[in-house]
Amino acid sequence: MNLEMVFLYLSAALAVGIPALATAWAQSRIGPAAAAALAEKPELTVTVVLLIAIPETLAILGFVIAVLILMQGGG
Amino acid sequence: MSRIRMLGPKDQLQSCLGCVQELGLVQLIEPAETESLRPLGLTIEQAHHVRSVRNVVEDVDTALELLGVTPKPPKAAEALPLTKAALIAGRSRRQLEALAEQRQGLEEERALILKFRPFFSAFRKIGDSGLNLDEIRVFYLVLREDGEQELRRMRAALRQALGDGFELLSQPSESGESAMLLAVPTADAAKAEQLLSEAGVQSLSLPDQFEEEGVSATIRRMRTRLDELPEALAALERERARIARERGRELAWIQASVRDHLATVEAMEKAVVTPRAFVLEGWVPKAVQPDLERRLGLCCGPGFEIETVSSEEWAGDTVPVVLNNPRLFRPFEAITRMMPLPRYGTVDPTPFVAVFFPMFFGVVLGDIGYGTMLAAVSLILRIRSQANTTLRSVSEIGLACSLFTIVFGFLYGELFGDLGHRIGLHPLIFNREEAFFPFLGFAIALGLVHIVVGLLVGAVQMFRGDKRRAIGKGMAAVMVVLIALALMAAFEMLPERFFTPLVITALIALPVLIIGEGILAPIEFVSTLGNVLSYARIMAVGTASVMMAVVANRMVGAFGSVVVGILFALVFHLINFVLGVFSPTIHVLRLHYVEFFGKFYSPGGAQYRPFRHWSARESASDERSE
Repeated sequence: MNLEMVFLYLSAALAVGIPALATAWAQSRIGPAAAAALAEKPELTVTVVLLIAIPETLAILGFVIAVLILMQGGG
Repeated sequence: MSRIRMLGPKDQLQSCLGCVQELGLVQLIEPAETESLRPLGLTIEQAHHVRSVRNVVEDVDTALELLGVTPKPPKAAEALPLTKAALIAGRSRRQLEALAEQRQGLEEERALILKFRPFFSAFRKIGDSGLNLDEIRVFYLVLREDGEQELRRMRAALRQALGDGFELLSQPSESGESAMLLAVPTADAAKAEQLLSEAGVQSLSLPDQFEEEGVSATIRRMRTRLDELPEALAALERERARIARERGRELAWIQASVRDHLATVEAMEKAVVTPRAFVLEGWVPKAVQPDLERRLGLCCGPGFEIETVSSEEWAGDTVPVVLNNPRLFRPFEAITRMMPLPRYGTVDPTPFVAVFFPMFFGVVLGDIGYGTMLAAVSLILRIRSQANTTLRSVSEIGLACSLFTIVFGFLYGELFGDLGHRIGLHPLIFNREEAFFPFLGFAIALGLVHIVVGLLVGAVQMFRGDKRRAIGKGMAAVMVVLIALALMAAFEMLPERFFTPLVITALIALPVLIIGEGILAPIEFVSTLGNVLSYARIMAVGTASVMMAVVANRMVGAFGSVVVGILFALVFHLINFVLGVFSPTIHVLRLHYVEFFGKFYSPGGAQYRPFRHWSARESASDERSE
C-alpha cells in the first residue's frame, strides 16, 4: 500500500471519527439533562428525542464525507 | 369548528346539561355577560354541596391511587347517592392510608435493621471473647471508605484513655464503608463517648424499640424482626389486594359518577341566565353539528333552541383544535400529536406525514426480509391492540412502513442484505452496497421534494394572511428547485447549456425573496439548503443497515462450524432488525419535525375537550397514554 492510500484512508477515518467524537460529546451533555427533564416533565419526550438526534447530523455528514473521500480516491 | 349558542328555559338547565354531557360533543365556554345576562351564581347550599362533592372526589382519587390499580369504570356510570359515595370513599381512603402508613413504618424498620446487619458478626466475635454483653456499652460506628488512618488514630486514643478495657471490631459493609463496633465497660462509656465526639466519628442510634434492651437481647430481637418483616409486609399487601378485589370496581364507579356530577355542577357555572332562560355556548366540530342539533333538540324538549354564532364574533386563536383525517391517514395523527397541536386554521400535516414517513422509512430499511418481519410484528400488535388506542395506531404505521420496506427491498434487490443477490434477486434501481453516489443523490432528491412541498404548503397557508411573505416563501421553493437544477446541469446530469440561464433566474429571484421575507431571508434560505443536505442521513443510515446485514451473512462462512455461523448470523440479523426499525424511526421523525414542519407548521392549538362523561374522558386518556 503506497503512502497516498495511507493518507486517503486516514483522512476518511478522521472525517467520520472526529464528528463521531463530537456527536458523542454533545450527546453525553444532552443525555443526562434530557433524563432529568423527562423525570420532571414526561411530556417533553419528543423534544428530548429530537435534541438527542440533532448532534447525530455531525456523525452522519462525517460518514458521507468519508464515503466521498474513499470513492473519489478510488478506495 | 362551529361556535354554537344553546338557549332554553332556566328550569331545564340541569336536564339539558345532562343531554349535552351524554352526547359528549360540545366544549363549553363562558358566554359574554351583558346587562340582561348574568352568570348563574351558586346559593350557599349549592356552594356547600360543591365542596362536599370535591371532598368525595379527593377521597376516591386518593383511595384509588393507594390501591395501585385502576379498574375500568362502567361506560355510563349511574349516579350513586352522594352520602353513600362519601361514606365508602372516606372509609376506603382512611383504611388504605393506614395500610400505607404501616407499610412505610415496616419498610423503614427493615432498612434500619439492615444498616445494623454488618454489626451482627462483630457481636458474635465479642460474644466469643467471653465478655458479658449486658455489662458493657456498645457504640455502632460508621467509618468512611478511606478511613484506615482514622481507625488507627482512634484505636491509639482509646488505648491511651481506657487501657485494654475495650474491644473495637470492624466489618466492611456493602456500601464500601466500614461498620465498626466499639464495646467498653459501662463505667467508661462517658469517656469513650467524648473521645468519639472529638474524633467526629459518625455513630448510629438504635431504633427506638431496641433502646431499652441489653446488647444480647438487641441482636436477638433484630434478627427475629428481620425474619418477621417480610411476612408482615406480605400480610399488608394481601390486605391491600383484598380491598382492591372487593372494593376496586365500586370505587371506580363512585369516581366516575361523582366526577360526572362535579363536571355537571362546574358546567352550570358556565351558564349565563335571565330570570327565565339560560344561555350556554360551546365549540362543536362542523361535521357533527347538524346531528348534534337534532339530538339535543329531541333530548331537551320544547323551548330549547340552538343557533350558530357567526365567525365575526370570535377570535381564531380561542378555537379548540380537533384533527380529522381520512381513515387511511388517521393512525399517523399519533405522530402529529407528539408535537403541540397546530393552531386553528393552519394546515394539519398528518396527510403529508402519512405519505412521506413510511416512504422514507422504506427507503432507509429497504429489505424484503426485514420488511416481512416488521409486517409480522405489526400484524401481531394490531391483533392484540384495541381499536382507537395508540398501540393500534403504532401497529398500523408499522404495517405501512413494512409495505414500503418490502417495495424498496424489491427495488434494491435485498433480502436480509445480499442474501437476495445470491438467490437471484437483482437490484432494479441500484445496489446499495456499491452505489453510494446514486443512493446519496436519491436521498438528497427526496429531501428536495420534501422541503419544496413544505415551503409550498407554508406559502399557501400564509397566502390567506400575509400575501407578501407568502410570495417570499413560494420564491424560496422556486429558488431551491432552480439551484438543484443548476447543480444538475453543472454535473452534466442535464444539458450544460441550461446552467447559465438557471443561475441568472435564481439571481433574479433573490431580490423577490428579500422583498417578501425580509433582509434575513438569504440566511434562512442557506439554512433551507442545509436542511436539504440533512436528508443525506437517509443514505447514511440505509447504507449502515445494509452493511450490517452483509456482515451478518458473512458470519456463516467465518466460523469453523456452519451451525455456529448460522446461529451468529441469525442473532446479528435480529440485532440489525431492531436497530433497523429504531434508527430510521428516530431519523425520519427528526426529518419531519425539524426540516419539514419547520417550513410551515404553526403550533399552539388548544386541545378540543368536549363536556362528556368521566368514563369517556378516561378512555380518551387511555388512547393517548397506552
